[in-house]
Amino acid sequence: MVGFFWGFIKPLIYLLIFMVMFSQSFPSMDHYILFVTSGLILWFFFSNVTSQSVGSVAGSAGLLKSLNIPAYFFPLSEMISELFNLLLTIIVFLVLMNWFGIVYSYKLLFAIPALLLFAIFAYGLNLLLSSINVFFRDVGILWGTIQPALFYLTPIAYPETMIPEKYKLVIKSNPIYYFIKLGRTIFHENVVPPMHAWNVCIFIAFTMLIIGLVVFNRLKNQFISAI
Amino acid sequence: MADNIIVVENVHVNFWENNVGVYSIKDLITYRKSPFKNKTILNNISVTVERGESLGILGRNGSGKSTLLRTIAGIIKPDKGTVTVNGSFAPILAIGAGIEVELTGYENIAMLLSLYGTKKKNTNVIENIKSFSELSDEVLRMPVKQYSSGMSARLAFSISLANDSDILIIDEVLAVGDQGFQAKCYEKIFQIKKQGKTILFVSHFPGDVAKICDKAILLEKGELISSGNAEEICAKYNQLF
Ligand SMILES: Nc1ncnc2c1ncn2[C@@H]1O[C@H](COP(=O)(O)OP(=O)(O)OP(=O)(O)O)[C@@H](O)[C@H]1O
Ligand SMILES: [Mg+2]
Repeated sequence: MVGFFWGFIKPLIYLLIFMVMFSQSFPSMDHYILFVTSGLILWFFFSNVTSQSVGSVAGSAGLLKSLNIPAYFFPLSEMISELFNLLLTIIVFLVLMNWFGIVYSYKLLFAIPALLLFAIFAYGLNLLLSSINVFFRDVGILWGTIQPALFYLTPIAYPETMIPEKYKLVIKSNPIYYFIKLGRTIFHENVVPPMHAWNVCIFIAFTMLIIGLVVFNRLKNQFISAI
Repeated sequence: MADNIIVVENVHVNFWENNVGVYSIKDLITYRKSPFKNKTILNNISVTVERGESLGILGRNGSGKSTLLRTIAGIIKPDKGTVTVNGSFAPILAIGAGIEVELTGYENIAMLLSLYGTKKKNTNVIENIKSFSELSDEVLRMPVKQYSSGMSARLAFSISLANDSDILIIDEVLAVGDQGFQAKCYEKIFQIKKQGKTILFVSHFPGDVAKICDKAILLEKGELISSGNAEEICAKYNQLF
């Protein structure tokens, strides 16, 4: 519950900042608050779950040395607890949006596969980061420094249309962009995302998962030698 | 035919030794080659334990005893050879192992029991842990990092015993308990033996090994240099020094 509370405070602070800073800049946008909030919720889910998971294997030395538990378990338990927080956050968010007069339809159900795809992507990345972090302990620090850059490279506070054509490629090479966009199509536009948007996300999510699994499997037998 | 609960055949375990001090990406970028070298920790170990038998493992510091225990428990996968086990394990009892120091005593109990699938609805389990460890309610509500080493050993030992598993693994953990608790542990160990359970026992006190174990092995630099009945091996161990 404490985690949920703090998980809620962070996006709220950002939301306030963006509202003050940007709501005048994009007056033409429909429901700027809804736009930002939906992006922030997704981003903070990703940011929290990766930050929590990076050190999860290295931090479980005591258990790993005395019990035969698959090491996958540690990033997985972080994922489950963050998914739970995400669910609570979304419920609060929907209640709030309802209060603002926004009516959702059955299309909201598409959020479930969209969030699951994002979670699969994040889990793949977590397998990669947490296994390398066992051997090189600054992976977490490194990831922490990359995150803000990634945040601003993802259209979360600003609309995608604002980006000049020549920089579009930078945005499009950022995998997180596709997941945020997928989720936002559902939460903000209340539209079922087109097939190709799903395909891109499925492809990225499973590619990341496979990379994570391969690296994790390669390294897991040596975890004991480094913790 | 003998009922073998543990069969270890020609087991080799290699570790990636990192003795160049490259423990971060930052160091790796300047070092620019792999900091890992294969190091043989266990070399061609074979040992068989029958159900109900107790095996003592002796050897100098760093000879590979803890590594062998972890390999038998399935925590380390051997690079060559096979380990076959026909039974269940309790968490390895070693100093500081299994217990998460940030969690309280109660949280540790709950976590380890659920990881082991012990039925918690049987509240007796928790009562047994409490009474065997002699830790008070107040102590069990404290995070384990505030425990003395003897207190955390009491907790670990009691939790391990609560799991009704076939094989108990003890890695020189009893030495930190006070006299009363040690006596109680030895009594319990004999009781467990009588129940027909299997014990793997590492200790630097050959006297204890001779008392508890039926047979023993002696490791030296990752190799098994002799095996036989416990007294015989204890005598050989004493000759090492
Ligand atoms: N990460 C590592 N890299 C290289 N060598 C390692 C690593 N971890 C352990 N070792 C080596 O493995 C060997 C066996 O260690 P192990 O803990 O099994 O010894 P032990 O017999 O239990 O010793 P002790 O009596 O001190 O408990 C030691 O020589 C140790 O140096
Ligand atoms: Mg040891």
